Amino acid sequence: MGRVLARVLGVVFVLWAVVTLTWFGAYAIPGEPAEAVLGGSGSKATAEQLAQIRAEYGFDRPLLTQYADMLGGLLHGDLGASYALKTPVTEIIGQTLAGTLVLAALSLAVAWAVAVLVALGSTRDSRLGTALGSLLEVTAVAVPHFWLGSVLILVFSVGLGWLPPISAPGAAGLVLPVLSLALPLAGFLGQVMRESFLAALDAPFTLSARARGETETRVRLVHALRHAALPAISLSGWAFGSLVSGAVVVETLFSRPGLGRTLLSGVLDGDIPVIVGVVLVIAVVYILVTFATEAADRIADPRLKAASRPSEAAAW
Amino acid sequence: MRRTLPSLSVALLSTVLLAACGGGGGGEDAASQTPKQGGTLVYATGDDEPTCLDPQSRGNVPQALLGSQYLESLFYQDEKGEILPWLATAWKVADDGLSWTVDLREDVRFSDGTPFDAAAVKVNIERVLDPATQSTTGRLALSKVAKVEATGEFTVRIDLRQPDGALLESLSQVWLPMESPTALKRSLEENCAAPVGTGPFKIESWTKQDNVTLVRNESYSTPPPGASHSGPAYLDKIVWRFVQDGTSRFAALQSGQVNVVDVLEPQNAVAAANVPTLKTLIQARPGEPVEIKLNIGRAPFDDAKVREAFFSSIDVAGALSSVYLGTVEQAKSPLSSATRYRADTVKHAYDPDAAAKLLDEAGWTAKDANGFRTKDGKTLTVTLPYANAIPLEPGFYEQVQATAKKVGFDVKLEPLETAKWWVKNYNWDYDAIPIYYTKNSADVLRITSTAAANAEDTPGGYHANNVRLKSAELDAILEKAGESSDDAERADLYRQAQQFLSDGHYVLPIYDQQTRLGYQSKVRGLRLLPSLSMPYFYDTWIDD
Repeated sequence: MGRVLARVLGVVFVLWAVVTLTWFGAYAIPGEPAEAVLGGSGSKATAEQLAQIRAEYGFDRPLLTQYADMLGGLLHGDLGASYALKTPVTEIIGQTLAGTLVLAALSLAVAWAVAVLVALGSTRDSRLGTALGSLLEVTAVAVPHFWLGSVLILVFSVGLGWLPPISAPGAAGLVLPVLSLALPLAGFLGQVMRESFLAALDAPFTLSARARGETETRVRLVHALRHAALPAISLSGWAFGSLVSGAVVVETLFSRPGLGRTLLSGVLDGDIPVIVGVVLVIAVVYILVTFATEAADRIADPRLKAASRPSEAAAW
Repeated sequence: MRRTLPSLSVALLSTVLLAACGGGGGGEDAASQTPKQGGTLVYATGDDEPTCLDPQSRGNVPQALLGSQYLESLFYQDEKGEILPWLATAWKVADDGLSWTVDLREDVRFSDGTPFDAAAVKVNIERVLDPATQSTTGRLALSKVAKVEATGEFTVRIDLRQPDGALLESLSQVWLPMESPTALKRSLEENCAAPVGTGPFKIESWTKQDNVTLVRNESYSTPPPGASHSGPAYLDKIVWRFVQDGTSRFAALQSGQVNVVDVLEPQNAVAAANVPTLKTLIQARPGEPVEIKLNIGRAPFDDAKVREAFFSSIDVAGALSSVYLGTVEQAKSPLSSATRYRADTVKHAYDPDAAAKLLDEAGWTAKDANGFRTKDGKTLTVTLPYANAIPLEPGFYEQVQATAKKVGFDVKLEPLETAKWWVKNYNWDYDAIPIYYTKNSADVLRITSTAAANAEDTPGGYHANNVRLKSAELDAILEKAGESSDDAERADLYRQAQQFLSDGHYVLPIYDQQTRLGYQSKVRGLRLLPSLSMPYFYDTWIDD
């Protein structure tokens, strides 16, 4: 019970810290909020118009009062309204959240699939194969999303004409954005998995499984893969976060609606409620994904299950 | 974003791929010239997504691009800058210049069925002047308007505080459109989402970050002068997509996913010329061109000789041809070539020797270890902040820096994000700054160059006078020009004003800001509305 309470308090603290840092950070962006209301920096608004907006929105009040107001709103589930679009932030996030989550989840799935294939196929027998594998992985990791995305567009859209370069309804429009996000991550996960996969193949339990006469496929798929997957599962929470940040670039490049573009335009416009709202939602998603990877870790690794229940562990 | 994402390698790769694909045949002449009814046109804009679809509220170029499809103005301005009837049929200015009587068309309805009449005009103009509407561009343009009266069912009188020779020009901009009074009764937010006008299309839906979908206005009856047909538009629909990245935007055009793109990047304009299925339409926008303005409020540019030396040390033509690949021409006037009363008063030549001589005369005779000129122990430094908001490539500034260095200027380039750049701009925290101003009237000079445009009562606030110019002589010319409705007199006064700005070496025009379209050659009847050079799809059809 105490553990659950501590967890909840921890989550609340993290969310408060995220909101506070973001809000003050957003305020430090050059330009003033009243201008964001009137069309953004360079809006050509007159001093009189700006003064009126300052009074109307309360931008002339002390910073801490405005901060307290914002926190109070958040406690009631009110994220406020966008300065630029004048619509509620919850509505804007509602329209774009799904797009980014689908993109990130699919990219994670594809990255995992590629990484598993790389791990399963890897072997110590071929030096050339190993060298080639790690070269590809390192390259994939090092490639920036926008560069990879641009190359994919030029090859598959302009050159071959197979896939649309900007977002289109249906699965076809998702292929290139997902690949741009997934391939660098696959390189990273693949590196991690291959190392532990090879270690697992050398481990005594593999030797005993082979001694029992189990097939190579079964040894690889059931015994070694489970071990190899552990560090990658732990990293997936972090990876999901990195996918959401990568979404800023990929959504812009492929012109897909999503949280990343919402955040980007929020920052460029100095639209503080949008910035705070999007960052808060990303933090919540990140926390949920972290919990999920912890649960997955426990399923994949029985040792953790035992360790989390000390009484049973003692009896065992 | 659009200027940062495409890397050089991508640009090169794209050129290589294009070269590989090029060379096919296919003439447009073979196609029939009878317009085909129907079809959907997909337009991909590289400009920002508007935060409000009603240009009366705020008032920027993204709004004007989209708004030109569903909103119309009282007047039409043709290629020569002359005013022609549109929703207004006739007009007359009083002898004292303080009131205009405007007759209106009597057979027009907004696309929601509301009749267009004098009361509607009054509602619209008063709404723009109302601070609650949050109009910036439109309100500024109507700053001399005192009140509007409906003097008949289809006649209005506009009363002014001072004579305003630019009033009709202002009222032919899409930032001052006529909207349905019924629709205007809704809240600001609701009207932003779906403004209602008399244009050939109307708004069907707006999916944020993705597209605005327009459908044909079946009861359309107000084609502008120069239109090639009457009745409703040919296209069923326009899907107006927001595609910020230049590489993917052009790729979408090449792959046929979209029919028309704007903000066509220079390398893509060159590439399109080699593809038989693509065409380009590049046209100057009116107002002040993209130019470099010098801050005369502080050293070193408080000295006219140093200003002249700086301009002479810049190889504008060389920089333009290497960065823009011959797709733009050097501007020769403080007004863009699309502006009525433009005069080619700028005689710019890259002349390092003349520049060096001028610096000697101005007392910047010594040189430091880096080769920069000094005077009284101070280095000849020029800070030049720039941002993506101004359509000049970083490569251009770097060439300015390089050529000016040869003469002894230490140009400090400051690449900034747009908001930070505006703060520098507001605070006059620069020696040289790139800027432009879109407006369909030579009166733009009054907005940007009179002493009143310094707005020093609001430190840190917007001011259009980037030069910090305070000249009683220029103010008198521009005020007089602004009040005149006489064509010959205006032409003469604006020529004098441009001569003044050129002779003082306050501004160095670089190139005209442009509407840059790339489109599939099967898109026919594409034209620009001359007032602001906005694309217009009333006569457009797709030759499939």
